[in-house]
Amino acid sequence: MLAEFKHTLRRMRGQMIGWGIGLALYGLLMVSLYDSIVGIEGFQELIASYPQELMAFFGDADFLAITTPKGYIGLYYFNYMTVIIGIFAVGACASLLVGDEEKGLLDLVMAHPVSRTALFWGRLLGFAVATVLILLVGWLSWLIPSGSSSMDLPWIELLRPFLPLFAELLLFGTLALLLSMVLPSVRIAGMITGGLLVANYLLIGLSNINEDLKSLIEFTPLHYYQGGDAITELNWGWLAGLLAVSAAFALLAWWRFQRRDIRVGGEGGWRLPSLSFHRRAGSEA
Amino acid sequence: MSEETALMTQGLTKSYGKVRALRGVDLEVQRGEIFGYLGPNGAGKTTTIRCLLDLIRPNGGTVRVLGIDPQTDPVAVRARTGYLPGELQLDPNMSAEGALRYFNALRGNKVDWGFVRQLAQRLDLPLKPAIKNLSHGNKQKIGIVQALMHRPQLLLLDEPTLGLDPLMQHEVLRLITEAKEDGTTVFFSSHIMSEVEAVTERVAIIRKGVVVEVAEPASLINRALRRAHVRFRQPVDTGPLANVPGVTVLSQDDGTSVLLQVEGEMDGLIKALAAFPVSDFETERPSLEEIFLAYYEASDEEAS
Repeated sequence: MLAEFKHTLRRMRGQMIGWGIGLALYGLLMVSLYDSIVGIEGFQELIASYPQELMAFFGDADFLAITTPKGYIGLYYFNYMTVIIGIFAVGACASLLVGDEEKGLLDLVMAHPVSRTALFWGRLLGFAVATVLILLVGWLSWLIPSGSSSMDLPWIELLRPFLPLFAELLLFGTLALLLSMVLPSVRIAGMITGGLLVANYLLIGLSNINEDLKSLIEFTPLHYYQGGDAITELNWGWLAGLLAVSAAFALLAWWRFQRRDIRVGGEGGWRLPSLSFHRRAGSEA
Repeated sequence: MSEETALMTQGLTKSYGKVRALRGVDLEVQRGEIFGYLGPNGAGKTTTIRCLLDLIRPNGGTVRVLGIDPQTDPVAVRARTGYLPGELQLDPNMSAEGALRYFNALRGNKVDWGFVRQLAQRLDLPLKPAIKNLSHGNKQKIGIVQALMHRPQLLLLDEPTLGLDPLMQHEVLRLITEAKEDGTTVFFSSHIMSEVEAVTERVAIIRKGVVVEVAEPASLINRALRRAHVRFRQPVDTGPLANVPGVTVLSQDDGTSVLLQVEGEMDGLIKALAAFPVSDFETERPSLEEIFLAYYEASDEEAS
C-alpha cells in the first residue's frame, strides 16, 4: 500500500504544482485587493443595488457581508471552490484506477504482489493527501498575506472552511471513483459526476430564489457545505455526514474493485457490469 | 495435484457476455518445465494466463498455481511469478529505471539491483531515457526484465519476443533457458513456432477456448503427415507403393518419379522402396507451424 501511495503522489505532483500555483496566485490577488475593494466609497450601496435575484443566488447574507473578511472570503473563494477544485477531484478520482486500466497499465501492476485492497486504498489515500496539499497551499495563500491587510483572520478561523471544502471534494471524488467502477468508461464517470456537481451548485443557488426547491436540496451534498460560514463556527455534524457518505462511496467502489475483471483492449469487457456477486470458480469446482 | 505440478487448470471456463473465451481448459505443467501455449489471436491464450494471476475471474473450473488457488491468495501467486503481458503498456512519463524501481517497490524492494543491471546490459536496454522516447522493442525489454528480475519460480510470458530483432529474440530465449536451468517453470504463448520448437519441452494447442492437443513438439512432428519425393533410374510401376499402409500417392511422372504422403513412421515405405531402382529420395519434415495450421484446418473441416 505504501508503494502505491507514494507512486500516486508522485504521479499527481504535476497536478498538485499546477493547482497549487493557481490557488496561491488567486489567494494572493484576492487578499491584496481586499483593502481596495472594501475601501471603495459607496461600495456597500453598489452591492445593494445589484439585482435581487443575483444576490439571492449567491446568498443574500454573503453578498451583503462582502465588506467583512468572512463575507469577502466566503463569496470570492469558498462559494465556488467546490466546483473549481472539484474539477481536479472528479478527474483525478475517476481515473485513479480505471484510467490506468483503460490505458492497459493496471494489468502489469496487478501482476505484482499487491492486493486489490492495498492498491485501492493506497491510491485513494494518495489522492486524499494530494487534495490536502493543494488546499494547504490555498490556505497559506490567504493566511500569509492577510496579516499585512485589514483582513487579519486568525489561522484557525481561516482553516475551518477548508475542512468542509475537503469533505465535499472527497465526496464527489469518491462518487467519481465509484461510478468509474460501474460505468463503461472513465470519461462517462467523470462527465456524470462533474455534471452532478455543477447541477448541485446551480440548484443550491436557484433554491435561494425559488422556495419550492428548498425541500429538494436537502438531499444534495452541497446543501451541507458551509462555505465561508464555517469561519465563525464549524458544523461538525454536517462535516461528519459528508465524510461518512464519502466513506460509503469509497467502500462501495472498493467492493466493486474486489470483484472486477481487469480489462485489456479487445477482451470484450467494456460494458456495464452485472450487479450480482461474482461467483468464485474455485469453490464451484 | 502433485508436488511436481507447477500449474494446473481443470475445466476452466470464462465468458465475456455472450463470448465464451474459455470452454473448459485442462492443463498441467510440471515444475521446471518450459511449456509452450499455441493458438491464434482470440483462441484464449491471454485469457488463460490472466486467470492464473487472478486479473480476471473464471466462471468455472479450478486453477492452481504453484499449489495455490489464485483467487484465495493472489498475492502469494504473484510474489512467486513473473509476468509479461502480451500487450505491454508502461507509464510513458517514467524512465525504464523508474518503472523497474516502482515494480521493485511493489515487490517489497527485495530485488537484487545488480541482477537488474545485468539483465538490462544483456538486452542492451537503456535505463535512463523516458519510456515515451523508447522504441517498441526497448519497451518490450523492460517487460522482460521486470518479469525476470526477482528470479520467479514461475514465468508467464505472453508473446515474449514480440517486437524484438532476431538477435534479441535469441537472447531472450537464452534467458528463458537459463531461468529453466535455475529451476524456473516457464509457461509461454507465442505465434513464432520456431522459437516454441527450439525451447519448449511440451506444447498445448488451444483452439476456440479448448485445448485440443498437449504433446512434445517432436512427437507432434513425428505424428504428422510428411511428404516423400522418390526418383527412379528407369520408369517403374508405382502401384505397389500405394498399397503400403499409411502411404498415399499424390502424383507421379511417367513412372520415373513419385510424390507420396506418409502418415506415421517411414519404415514400411523404405522397405517397399528396396525393391525399386531408387536414384533419389527426399522427405519434407513438417514444421511445428504446419502442424499447428493442420490442427486448425482439420478442426474447421470437422466443424463444417
